[in-house]
Amino acid sequence: MTKGQRGFLFDAGRCVLCHACEVACQAAHGLSPQMQWRKVVEVWEGHFPAVTRTFVSISCLHCAHPPCQRACPSGAISKRTENGVVVVDGQLCTGCRECYEACPRRVPQFGADGVMGKCDLCLDRAAPACAAACPTAALRSGTMAELADLARKRGGKRLAGAEGPALFVCGPQIPVELMRLP
Amino acid sequence: MCGPTAGCGIYARVRDGKLVGIEGMPESPRNKGKLCPRAFASMQWLYSPDRLKYPLRRVGKKGDGEFERISWDEALDLIAARLLEQKQQYGPESLAILSPARRSYSDYLYRFLVVHGSPNYGHSGICAIQRAFGLAYTLGTPRTAPDYARAELIIVWGANPVYSGTPQGALQSMLDARERGARLVVIKPEMQPDAALADEWVPIRPGTDGALALAMLNVVVNEKLYDGEFVDRWCYGFDRLVPHVQRYTPEWASTICGLPVEQIVGLARRYARTPAACINMGNAFDQVVDSSNAVRSVAILMAITGHLDVPGGNIISAAPSTMPAVKSVHLRERYTQEMVDRLVGPEIPRCFQPFIEGTSSAYYRCLDSVLTGKPYPIRGIIAPGTQPTVITRGPRRVVEALEKLDFFVVMDVMQNAAMPWADLVIPVATMYECDHPFEVAGNWLMARNQVVERMGDYRSDYEFWLDLAVRMGYGADFWNGSIEACMDYQLGNFGMTLAELRSHPTGIVYESRPPELGDFARLFSARSPRLSGAPYLPQGKVAVYNTSFAAAGFSPLPGWAPPPESPASTPELLPKYPLVFTDAHTSEVYNAGWLRNVPYLRAVQPDPWVHIHPDTARARGVDDGDWVIIESPHGRIQARAVYFPGIRPDTVMGLQGWWQGCAELGLAGYADGSANTNNLYSVDPAKAFDPLVTAMPKQTLVEVRRA
Repeated sequence: MTKGQRGFLFDAGRCVLCHACEVACQAAHGLSPQMQWRKVVEVWEGHFPAVTRTFVSISCLHCAHPPCQRACPSGAISKRTENGVVVVDGQLCTGCRECYEACPRRVPQFGADGVMGKCDLCLDRAAPACAAACPTAALRSGTMAELADLARKRGGKRLAGAEGPALFVCGPQIPVELMRLP
Repeated sequence: MCGPTAGCGIYARVRDGKLVGIEGMPESPRNKGKLCPRAFASMQWLYSPDRLKYPLRRVGKKGDGEFERISWDEALDLIAARLLEQKQQYGPESLAILSPARRSYSDYLYRFLVVHGSPNYGHSGICAIQRAFGLAYTLGTPRTAPDYARAELIIVWGANPVYSGTPQGALQSMLDARERGARLVVIKPEMQPDAALADEWVPIRPGTDGALALAMLNVVVNEKLYDGEFVDRWCYGFDRLVPHVQRYTPEWASTICGLPVEQIVGLARRYARTPAACINMGNAFDQVVDSSNAVRSVAILMAITGHLDVPGGNIISAAPSTMPAVKSVHLRERYTQEMVDRLVGPEIPRCFQPFIEGTSSAYYRCLDSVLTGKPYPIRGIIAPGTQPTVITRGPRRVVEALEKLDFFVVMDVMQNAAMPWADLVIPVATMYECDHPFEVAGNWLMARNQVVERMGDYRSDYEFWLDLAVRMGYGADFWNGSIEACMDYQLGNFGMTLAELRSHPTGIVYESRPPELGDFARLFSARSPRLSGAPYLPQGKVAVYNTSFAAAGFSPLPGWAPPPESPASTPELLPKYPLVFTDAHTSEVYNAGWLRNVPYLRAVQPDPWVHIHPDTARARGVDDGDWVIIESPHGRIQARAVYFPGIRPDTVMGLQGWWQGCAELGLAGYADGSANTNNLYSVDPAKAFDPLVTAMPKQTLVEVRRA
């Protein structure tokens, strides 16, 4: 893992589907309304009345070994050494969508210009806009060390996966295959 | 852009005179740096192509929406001349102002009406006042705050603590309580996010909350689960309640509410036996013909089980604060019996007026008087920030009334649904374009700063009322038009002016202490706002048996009134209309009939929707995402079906307020009412009004089919 790697903690026991994280992200980056670098998805299980509904706020997880980076034929995707943030160079991106196919969470988004865009952990801001906005502290950001500490206190753990996603999860367990954008 | 729980601290990021970003203000005790998605979309709202920038005068036929631009001064001269003429010809009561949701400018509307001489503040009849009335005349207080922080059992009942005031503390306190082990029970027909996080979801059939409450009273009374000491000392007429509730058995409620008997009994026992248990009673109690019954039943339940004003229960004592009182601009001391007598369609009976916010006629009844002329027709209506064709029941009848109305003025920050019928349209400023009023939220006081220039010939809501009053000859009561003097008057008890308050950039937080609980002798002797000032509770005790209501000709004990159409009360309709329909009033991104034109918000919920259980949908050949027609005995609308596993299979649920398009996303509006849920509901005078509080139902029976 990159030293100083930054990431997120998500607590499904506190997410209420308010969409503040999504819109705060769009507004912070001036995205078009159709582009969502973060999205809250819901997972239904069971049958009425014994049904459960769980929410998951998903964005790029700035993996330790990013499948998107490996898949990119033009070298447009890189991982910052100082904080582990996975970034895309819009000048090099050809819009071939290989990264989208490779991403287990289908995170990469493509605007009208065809260039890939996704979460950059708000490199130009003091803290990611999404986590700063979350009114219930279901979504938090920080260094992996800080988040590991918090996750331990809240009975959570790091999300499994060979790609090494920089995400800790707490609260109701969500099947990892469902943690992706529609 | 907010609902009535506005008042969050916001930092506006401005570049080259343009608003470019929004951040929560950590220094605000109201929202502690957090905000909701509406706030983050503010730039798109402020700079919307739909903004109104100049006053408009109608030139075409009513309903056609053809206008010409006029100046602010011309517009106000025209309004003043017409209102004075109507006052002289028909009396001051011929003017009604339709209420928006409770706003920081609401008391300006009351002030203008009082000075003009009209009692006709047209209050919705579907929000907050209905609950407040039942609570006040049962418990001696219009508000009972659930003490989440100390509760072991929290019951959220027909409320939505997630989408109302999301960042303002109550939701956080509820989530914290759950994490420390408190049990969360949520009573509502569909699994909204609060129900998704609950330990127990009680999927009640819409509009039957009052039946559930009566059955809980039955269990508590018959199993002697009440607090005998509290009942003996502080409740009046408990002995009359005992025989009264015998007929309301859990078996009886089970068929009405569509819940298992064991769930009803279990809920009653658990609530009565948990000392630190609180109830958050929500808007579902205002939008049902059984409103006053249901509110009284729950209030009595809280009282006889000993949950009033105890730690973890429902708190009615006020928290002492060092903050002085803001002086109200309302002129309630000028109300007279004559004004009360002249109400065109009292929202609550005249003998209980004025109530906490002032005198009120029901919003719908103000409009209806235009058509019926009974007891007299309203001649002039001003609608500030409210859209009568969208947000009250019977939209077709409302349009008829607007066609016939003599004089109609619409005020808004942007084009709204009622505009086509307006004689004059008055644009007003957003909060980002005003340096007034000031924020007051709990014990926090902060001056508001104007962060961007106004974009046309318009002023604020507050300035409008002052400007109009001066033109009407009411200037002496309106600080001769000076907004500064008006603000400074309100801060009179603080020993500072607004300019001085502004020198505290993030405001002033006053100290407050937790209230001392249980002084029932004082609490139950609180005076009512009626002209007589008589106490709410004549016996100085909880009105289990209500002599005030009996004297006014209403039932002294809460009974049960079914929705105009429902499976239990109108089974003959089921072959044609087998499903129950209801709607939500607010969603995660919208409130009421607003904000559909804001692209970031509209992208979250692009189309009118109806939540339907997948089994119910498949039985009708409806796929997830299909457009469907929803038809009731009163009308039909269209919506997109959303498969929703967490809804009663016999119930479908929509969202109020669709009419507006979103040009940036190329998404249609539904200005013809084809997605307006209010078209589905009864407005039958004999069936669709709570006789005590005018509450209008949002429940009916429907069939759903592919469009």
